[in-house]
Amino acid sequence: MKDHVTNSATISRRGFVVSMLGAGGALVIGSLQSQAAEIGSTPWEGPVAEGAQQFTPWIAIQPDGKVIVYVTHPDIGNGPVTQAVSYIYEELAPRWDDLQAEYASPNRNYRLDNVYSNVGGPLAYFSGRSTSEPRRTAYMTAAAGARERLKAAAGAAWGVDPAAITVAEGRLAHAESGNDAPFTDFLAAAAAITLDPEPQPKPREEWTFLGKQAPGKIQLPLIVRGQATYGIDVRLPDMVYAALRQSPVMGGRLKSFDFDAIRDMPGVRAAVEVVPNDPGEPNKVEPPFPFGMAPLTSAVAVIADHYWQARTALDALPIEWDDGPGTKWADIEMMNQAAMAAVSGDEEGNVLFSVGDVEAELARGGTVVEAEYLTPYCDHVNMEPLNSTAIVTDDRVEIWHPGQHTQMAWAMAVQQTGVAPENVEAHQTFVGGGFGRRVFSEDARMGVAVAQQYPGVPVHTIWSREESMRQGRYKPLMAARLRARLGDDGLPTALHVRVAGGPGFWTLGVADQALPLVIDNVQVDAVTVSDFHILTGSYRGPGYNSATFFLESFVDEMAQAAGQDPLDYRIALYSKWADEGWVKVLEELRDKSHWGEPLPAGQARGVAIGNWGMGGRANAGTTCGAVVHAEVDAEGRIRLHGIDVAFDSGRVMNRDAVKAQLEGGVIMGLNMAMNEKITVQNGRVVEGNYDQYPMLRIGDIPDIRIHFGGLTDDDRYDEMGEPPMGPVGPALANAVFAITGKRMRTQPFREHDLSWGGAA
Amino acid sequence: MSYTLTINGEPHEVDAAPETPLLWVLRDHLGMTGTKYGCGIAQCGACTVHIDGQALRSCNLPVDAVAGADIRTIEGLDQDGEHVLQKLWVEMNVAQCGYCQSGMLMAAARLLEDNPDPSDRDIDLRIDNICRCGTYPRVREAIHRAAEIMRG
Repeated sequence: MKDHVTNSATISRRGFVVSMLGAGGALVIGSLQSQAAEIGSTPWEGPVAEGAQQFTPWIAIQPDGKVIVYVTHPDIGNGPVTQAVSYIYEELAPRWDDLQAEYASPNRNYRLDNVYSNVGGPLAYFSGRSTSEPRRTAYMTAAAGARERLKAAAGAAWGVDPAAITVAEGRLAHAESGNDAPFTDFLAAAAAITLDPEPQPKPREEWTFLGKQAPGKIQLPLIVRGQATYGIDVRLPDMVYAALRQSPVMGGRLKSFDFDAIRDMPGVRAAVEVVPNDPGEPNKVEPPFPFGMAPLTSAVAVIADHYWQARTALDALPIEWDDGPGTKWADIEMMNQAAMAAVSGDEEGNVLFSVGDVEAELARGGTVVEAEYLTPYCDHVNMEPLNSTAIVTDDRVEIWHPGQHTQMAWAMAVQQTGVAPENVEAHQTFVGGGFGRRVFSEDARMGVAVAQQYPGVPVHTIWSREESMRQGRYKPLMAARLRARLGDDGLPTALHVRVAGGPGFWTLGVADQALPLVIDNVQVDAVTVSDFHILTGSYRGPGYNSATFFLESFVDEMAQAAGQDPLDYRIALYSKWADEGWVKVLEELRDKSHWGEPLPAGQARGVAIGNWGMGGRANAGTTCGAVVHAEVDAEGRIRLHGIDVAFDSGRVMNRDAVKAQLEGGVIMGLNMAMNEKITVQNGRVVEGNYDQYPMLRIGDIPDIRIHFGGLTDDDRYDEMGEPPMGPVGPALANAVFAITGKRMRTQPFREHDLSWGGAA
Repeated sequence: MSYTLTINGEPHEVDAAPETPLLWVLRDHLGMTGTKYGCGIAQCGACTVHIDGQALRSCNLPVDAVAGADIRTIEGLDQDGEHVLQKLWVEMNVAQCGYCQSGMLMAAARLLEDNPDPSDRDIDLRIDNICRCGTYPRVREAIHRAAEIMRG
């Protein structure tokens, strides 16, 4: 078999290179070799090589020419590590092959007075904002400073004006004198130089790499060989494995377990209890993420020589739980009804946005449109189940964690143990999917809590797929009721939106859109159903992912009531908004999706648009729209023919990285809308694995076309992960309505009977 | 129980209970962590390996059933990353988080060994791995391109 592989690779290599050069896909920087910027198999910060010089805490240059770039934000598949080295490449001009990324240590950050986390504040160690201005400036300023120091040192050595020295490919050159030497000849001298003032980063007009080239993610060579160390791959000497179970009803407590029943099973070492923290515990360090320290839940863990042994023994362990009040929810329908009752009732709740006089305007009568919507709990189902590895002693903690916020994992380890922060180290591993699940870092805390009960030995705690799915921090169950009055032109003169969900749910999504800003009389308010016990969290595009479904389905309902084309209606509506990106995106969609061209019976196009991150401001966030071309057969089966996506993030830094995020987000958004639903029985989460939580596979995915013509060239490089989560679902629902006359007002769509008699 | 497993052409001695899934033997007993745990019920395909030339989920294959078989894992696809699929995966920026991609690559490699010119339908039927990041369009394109290249 080995022979076969070698042969096929050898035979193909020439054809391969030709093929790639001919493809012109801008995916390659120029040669295969240029992909050699790298990140280690164990990507966390290691010791600095002897003779290496630091140029600010962001960069070190080693005597072998390697340029170490310290990266704060974990790469969850979106490419921020590659973006960080790209900034350095632009300003410092080393060889691309010499760039090497390492995840910056939160321990060092603490010891250096928050040198890393002062950039970007609470989001400093949080992924996804790699193109934000402060972060870009921090990297580029550091690299420009290093470059100018190297030039100054070379200028002094050569007796020439540093301004006449050019920098390229890791070398300094002075044309007139003929001097030419690598960076490494001047490291120590350069590091000792003080510049006043520090050089500023190049203006955008002078960039030769950023925005022009689109390097692929530098960790890919590791991934395709199975050599990237995810959290679940951490292996340490004498490590033991723990299988975890938390109270099946969230909020419940462990009553007892019978270790004797499993004591003699193979490999079993211990069963330990994790006791919830005191709710009033003071913070031992400032929580880096703005939602505070994550609480610890009640749990039991079985520790064994191998994970399979631990898991088998855990399954055999008799455990008694005190379920707590969550058992009152007999099934999910009860919770749905409670949320629907909250939006249908008279309780006003918390007013999130208000302008004009909604009730007076609605009372004028005429055409009033009214609808109620519901979205369910959804789990992130990151492909890598939650896990962490920790070693805890009396005065030291070390954790290896696949988190989205390394500094939060570090803070959780401090919080849980009370060990002095300078003696706590958190190592960022590769991450098997983030999507917001791994921000709060309660899984890091749990791993430390388990290891605390088995001190002095590295403990690798794995949440099984079932445990990960049943102990999620879900996309919240949300209900919404919308009412609008249409004016003579068919556009709304009043809009009232009431949303409801459990504690901690994200209500901002509804108020944070353009729709409330283009209508004269608006109120958005939110009612909290306080006895929902299911824990919720940030799920890719929190709030926005449901809000876009509510608002953009409802816009379709208004367009229908007005008897207008849904896309033209949106252009008329959103042309009132100060941000021209909305209309530009819609026009790009109209042109590229062949909107309005006739389709066979049983097929239709639907459109939707939203913005992630605008926060009530024009020219902010990323506006994203989609047109879904769908078919529904007589029995109600949906078939997708294609999805067109247009967006406005202002500008794009790495075109292919943007395209990849939009493709993937469309697919996740589609899965969320069509398939995903976490349900509850007697307070317990029912779904535990993919057999109960359907996922789209390769054969389900239509042609997805990403269009760049919606970009306004506004001076921002806004986010790309969340935006596609909004419009795909409502665009599909709107297409289905156009075909069948059936309006899907609840997700997931797979629960709807869409049979309609067919095209005949 | 003691077993001798042939993995990527090399013999490996392991001591494990007969019902232990091959996945955990690879990962925990032998330290070959390229093969991933995703679901444990043969749904997601992150643990796909080749057993006697078939792409199979290793998470529900007892070690007892594969003693004597020819086992190939991602570590044996090509350690230098020179397999045409590995090279295309890098060049086409296929993976996002990358966690499911060992399984995806093993499924794709087997498909191409069986079928040098797979249609879209063939890919739909044979590549049934789950990818939460949504890399499916690039996986499909890379397989088609790899097939083209391998046919020469």
